[in-house]
Amino acid sequence: MSAIIGTARTRADAAAKATGQAVYTADLAFERAASGVVLRSPHPFARIRAIDVARAQGMPGVVAVVFSGNTPRKPFDFSIKDQHLFPQEYVRYKGEPVAAVAAETEAQAHAAAAAIDVKYEALEPVMTIDDALRDGAQLVHPRWKAYEKSATRFMRGNVCGRNRIRRGDVEKAFERAHVVIDSSFELSHGIPGYVEPRSAAARKEPDGGLTVWCGSQSPYGNREELAEFFDLDVERVRFVNQFVGGAFGGKILMAVEWFVAALALNCERTVRMIWSRHEDGLHVFPRHGGRASFRTGAAQDGTLLGMRASFAFDTGAYLGYGSGTALIATMLASAPYRIPALDLEAKLVYTHKQVAGPVRAPGGPEATYCKELHIDEVARALSVDPLELRLKNAWVDGDESPTGQKLTSVSARETLQKSAAAIGWGEKLPPNRGRGLSCSWWFSSCGRSEAKVEVRSDGSVHVVSGNPEIGTGSAAGALPILVADHLGIDPSQVRLTLADTATRTYDGGVHGSTATFSAGQAVEAAALDVRRQLLASAEESLEARVDDIELSGGFARVRGFPDHAVAFANLAEAAGGTITGEGGAREIEDPEFDPELVQSHDFAAWMAPSFTTSAAEVDVDPQTGCVKVLKIVTAQDAGFAINPTGVVGQIEGGAVQGLGYGLTEELQFDESGIVNTGLKDYLLPTAVDAPAIEAIIVESPSSEGPHGMKGVGEPPVTTPAGAIGNAIRDAVGAVPHKTPMTPERVWRAINAI
Amino acid sequence: MMQPVNLMVNGTPYELLVHPSRSLLQVLRDDLHLTGTKEGCGTGYCGACTVLVEDAAVNACLYFAVDADHRHVRTIEAMRAPDGSPQALPAAFIECSGLQCGYCTPGMIMSAAALLASDPSPAEDDVRSALSGNICRCTGYQSIVASVMLAAARMAQHERQTQPEPSPRSRSRA
Repeated sequence: MSAIIGTARTRADAAAKATGQAVYTADLAFERAASGVVLRSPHPFARIRAIDVARAQGMPGVVAVVFSGNTPRKPFDFSIKDQHLFPQEYVRYKGEPVAAVAAETEAQAHAAAAAIDVKYEALEPVMTIDDALRDGAQLVHPRWKAYEKSATRFMRGNVCGRNRIRRGDVEKAFERAHVVIDSSFELSHGIPGYVEPRSAAARKEPDGGLTVWCGSQSPYGNREELAEFFDLDVERVRFVNQFVGGAFGGKILMAVEWFVAALALNCERTVRMIWSRHEDGLHVFPRHGGRASFRTGAAQDGTLLGMRASFAFDTGAYLGYGSGTALIATMLASAPYRIPALDLEAKLVYTHKQVAGPVRAPGGPEATYCKELHIDEVARALSVDPLELRLKNAWVDGDESPTGQKLTSVSARETLQKSAAAIGWGEKLPPNRGRGLSCSWWFSSCGRSEAKVEVRSDGSVHVVSGNPEIGTGSAAGALPILVADHLGIDPSQVRLTLADTATRTYDGGVHGSTATFSAGQAVEAAALDVRRQLLASAEESLEARVDDIELSGGFARVRGFPDHAVAFANLAEAAGGTITGEGGAREIEDPEFDPELVQSHDFAAWMAPSFTTSAAEVDVDPQTGCVKVLKIVTAQDAGFAINPTGVVGQIEGGAVQGLGYGLTEELQFDESGIVNTGLKDYLLPTAVDAPAIEAIIVESPSSEGPHGMKGVGEPPVTTPAGAIGNAIRDAVGAVPHKTPMTPERVWRAINAI
Repeated sequence: MMQPVNLMVNGTPYELLVHPSRSLLQVLRDDLHLTGTKEGCGTGYCGACTVLVEDAAVNACLYFAVDADHRHVRTIEAMRAPDGSPQALPAAFIECSGLQCGYCTPGMIMSAAALLASDPSPAEDDVRSALSGNICRCTGYQSIVASVMLAAARMAQHERQTQPEPSPRSRSRA
């Protein structure tokens, strides 16, 4: 076992961040940058009759105005091309961009934006799933039939996606069951909640290229998308990513980057935009809201026999990341339990709301909250202990996933047992106190990633990776450890260059619990390449056999003769200045699944799946419905924790995000659109709301991940809300079936009103 | 329209002409280029812009620069020793991993500095209350609270070592 990999380490960026020296996009200084602003639709749904920008173009200080009339008209997005940079015919949510202006000052840009004359014909919006699915409903996309879409994408009217998994005969299972339990749920929209609003700057380069400064989760991917859209040579587009002030999935899809790029391409100035919280809130890619219904049949002994689950997700005005959320919800709906008959479905519905995005573990907290409350209801109906019922039905090695994937390294039971023990499961509690459990599974993913490791002539060791550091520590926490181990140095001596596309180290970005999984492999391969070169070079200068040479403290030394050594600096010097190792993530084949069971999924088998259980203890005031969460325990299978400090950080942060999802966070919409764009009435949990958190790392190694690791970023946010909900019911005998479980909703549940 | 303002920021005096509508945050970031202090919401709900005016933690986004006239302002940039090494609070945040994305960290540290100035040995609940105006979305707060507790312990120990005969200190909190 290595001396470094797997040990708790300080992240490389901690000192810069703790002393105010870390540079985020809004901290950059540009000489003579023009200020950009976006003009947004005041209507949730309207036909654009005309846009006249002539007056705005002549306003003082204006350097560029962009709108549908002078930017590419090609549609883009995921598997349905339903979206334009600026809408061509209709605006479809309050806050949708219709134009952007750059001017010498922000005040001038605002004045010019206000002078753009947009003639709207306001139309009746569709603001709920019910309205959207009604017979004869207004179509959010009247011309949906003409859209280009991928072959597997289901589309009909306001329904823009459907995922379904079917195995066995659920009706027969219900007939055989001792109990058949129905539950239904409503789910709120939520925001990613990063503290740094989005900002970016862009400048046209003399060679016809474009430089973009931003804080993206996926700079290489965004760069390709931008180059393709504006018809630029991708090699001449450079994304220079800065430190990212939190992202949580909200900075994967481009937003502000589109507008600074469009403006910069239309003037000779650097254009920068720093969005206010309000504007960031208008352009938010929220977590999907929606509803769900579950029916499960179980035998008297608690064996689960069949489940039908159906989700409808409100994906907003455009598909956005809806396909992922719906797919994941079906994969989670029955998991991690062995249920022979399944019919699991998720639909996506257009409405005139903000475009839902891939917020940390999209579909995860949503599906897990519903499923885990429902499973407790089955246990209660059978008078079986909820822990016992889960343990009885939980997958073990060799079981099949809902889509027929043969499962290995299954740790569901271990996470259940460890979290239950840590919360004191079964011990007596005072009145109005309760405990609850919630268990789920998640995937890892492996994407393309490249890295370089350099040993320079001053002896310094540099890692160049395309992986951005968004706060998770996927880069700053994990990558130095993976290099240091192979080069015999301390991780604190490794310097990082991240996510600047000029370094030509492609990386797919931070999402889908892929970051350390992919970038870690690339960096480790590059480190091994450098190690080989250092040893080969040392072999010559030390006149020793490679097998007799070890690397330690910046030297290659002959084993047993520590003074017989040559410094990395000298080896680099001898190699002409720098020794460069290169590496990439290996391609890993997706596990197999059974296509008879599922046809609608872009990924139907999950790589290096992990298992997570949260246990919560709450105190409920039955007079007011107020819930105080006293403790959350999360036991999470990390496969192998490369930096345990980083894993604990993900678990603790996920616990409180999950608590916010369960208790306080709700994006509200009225008949004309979004209401709470700010943090005054969108309640992110504070230090006094946060409970004591116990993080338990379970290590059940995967065969695919570096050192057996599994992706860790998303799972811990999926389970807390369900555990809290089940704890509320344990405390007071009732629980709302609606997120967030506000005091009013808890009070209503208790009083059945 | 512009108004003269004398600011003492991190020990350095500045004579500035400032529009009365400008916030202390704008002046710190845009005029003095002290970008360690962050803007998260601009409405006083996230605390990312927290600085000290005299010894009080304020949201710099809600504080008019002209109101800081002839006052001492301290920002995250002041939390380093002359040799550049982090002082006790940032050092504890580094040691306890009390940060992830780092965007809330400067404000969090300044709120903690205000607390420790008034209550050198707070209980954990006091720390949580003092930080309740600072939103952190990454950490779940546990490591932040641990950081502040560690810094308080270190600072108290340092004080004991530098003051051979300490006078008994009473807890300032009721």
